[in-house]
Amino acid sequence: MAKYTNAERIFRALERKEPDRVPHFENMIDPKIMNKILPGASYEEFIEHMDWDALVHDDQCREEVLDESRRIVRDEWGTVKRYTQEIVPIRVEVPIKSEKDLESYQPPDPDEEWRFEQIQRWVKRYQGERAIVADIHDPNPVGTELLGFEEQLMAFYTNPELVLRVHQIVLDYYLRYINNVIAAGADIVFIGGDWAYKNGPMFSLEHLNKFVLPPFKAMVQEAKRGGVYVIKHTDGNCWSFLDSIVEVGVDAFHPWDPMADMDIGEAKQKYGDRLCLMGNVNCATTLSFGTVEDVRQETKDVIRKAGVGGGLIVASSNTVHSAVKPENYVEMVRTVREYGEYPLDIKALS
Amino acid sequence: MNKVQEISEAIVQLKWDEIAALTNETLEAGVPALEIIDRGLVPGMSAVGVKFREGEVFLPELLLSAKTMKTALEILLPILSQQGTGFIGRVIIGTVSGDLHDIGKKIVASMLQGNGFEVTDIGVDVDPERFVEAVRDNDVQILGLSALLTSTMPMMEATIKALEKAGLRQRVKVMVGGASVTQAYADQIGADGYGADAVAAVEKARHLYRLNR
Repeated sequence: MAKYTNAERIFRALERKEPDRVPHFENMIDPKIMNKILPGASYEEFIEHMDWDALVHDDQCREEVLDESRRIVRDEWGTVKRYTQEIVPIRVEVPIKSEKDLESYQPPDPDEEWRFEQIQRWVKRYQGERAIVADIHDPNPVGTELLGFEEQLMAFYTNPELVLRVHQIVLDYYLRYINNVIAAGADIVFIGGDWAYKNGPMFSLEHLNKFVLPPFKAMVQEAKRGGVYVIKHTDGNCWSFLDSIVEVGVDAFHPWDPMADMDIGEAKQKYGDRLCLMGNVNCATTLSFGTVEDVRQETKDVIRKAGVGGGLIVASSNTVHSAVKPENYVEMVRTVREYGEYPLDIKALS
Repeated sequence: MNKVQEISEAIVQLKWDEIAALTNETLEAGVPALEIIDRGLVPGMSAVGVKFREGEVFLPELLLSAKTMKTALEILLPILSQQGTGFIGRVIIGTVSGDLHDIGKKIVASMLQGNGFEVTDIGVDVDPERFVEAVRDNDVQILGLSALLTSTMPMMEATIKALEKAGLRQRVKVMVGGASVTQAYADQIGADGYGADAVAAVEKARHLYRLNR
């Protein structure tokens, strides 16, 4: 089997071809876990130490500190958030409560150069060696940050025009942002945004088609025109709308959360010919509470169920969050190296 | 269709902007407030709950029907209070210490309110001592604990232990819920109930209320 660079390994998986081994990277890992595994290391040092096949460039957004002691900030979209011990802050106040707020609303400028400086540095250092992923979000979750969760969902009925206008503002931002990350040298656009929770979709197919899918499709098409790969992420049980995501033309789907009944073997059967699968080692149970042996077995199961023929990127079933045992995460990566070599040894994986 | 059935239908059909007028008309037609709740609002909300569980409706419909119901209750509950009748039970709900997530908790609180419970939401990042105080200082039958994060779930157990230590555990039924919480976890930490979703939480709360009134 030919030897590939980390980047080529990811690209082949995204094209549903067999690389030399199953690739791995995480879209999000808590710095506390990185620090326990490699104390004091920078993100780049950690990636090199763990030999990730890709680096992830965060969705760039400045924050103004409003209350240092309570860790309250306002981001460039105008949303007030509070940080906790976790990496994702919690929304405290939204900027758009009515049409009136929209009249004077100023979204961030997607063309500010500082947003892409890190990608440019990574391109110089890693291009062709490790894949560079730009993490972004579709208009629905950003709309949630601007309108509020319940308010946005109820406005699907009570004020659909407001939702559409807000989503258009976000889409306009990200269409330019996507072009900028591509110009800077990103290889992959990772579009996050939760459309489901563990029991099923958050909204009906009708609402998906009216408010959510059209701007998402526009973003995917823009990225594809720029010649990069697209990975779509949403939490939850997504079976009922996966066809819609596939039809839009994404290359991969993440994270196939087993807590939401997203079985990766079933996914391989149904979508393996059209979609690269990224996930699904359980970060709510196995990686957090399991033994090293449990992690090893589950990682082998994921490779066996979804790795045949390529088209698999092993990762946690969401993020490597603060409660994941560092030794368990390390074991997951080690198992991918040990059992993920192509051609797969199905007997050893069983 | 009589007026009470119209109320019920208004909840199912999400007539959020018509419910206030409809409720006032129904009262003016001589229908008692309690009957509007029992035979109009509660069956309407239950029907939405069934549809939600069966995947016929989703969160926007669930939230808007609860808002519609709350609008009607804002008119009806003051009348019931004057008459000396009121809520079917009292619930205190909060997200446990270290966790600031409140979407799931707010949905459950809305649904409980929509089903006639008086709900006091004591917020997010609530430490065990504050839960204990809230139970001690209020006449409540149910305490709801929410956690999204795997890392904060242990605070549910800590809260139950704090209630035991304060001698208050027998006074309330404790319900737990959240994305990572399971029935097995609820059993493990000695909670009285778990709701996999907001509809299940309401059913469980009704059941626990009957046991604890």
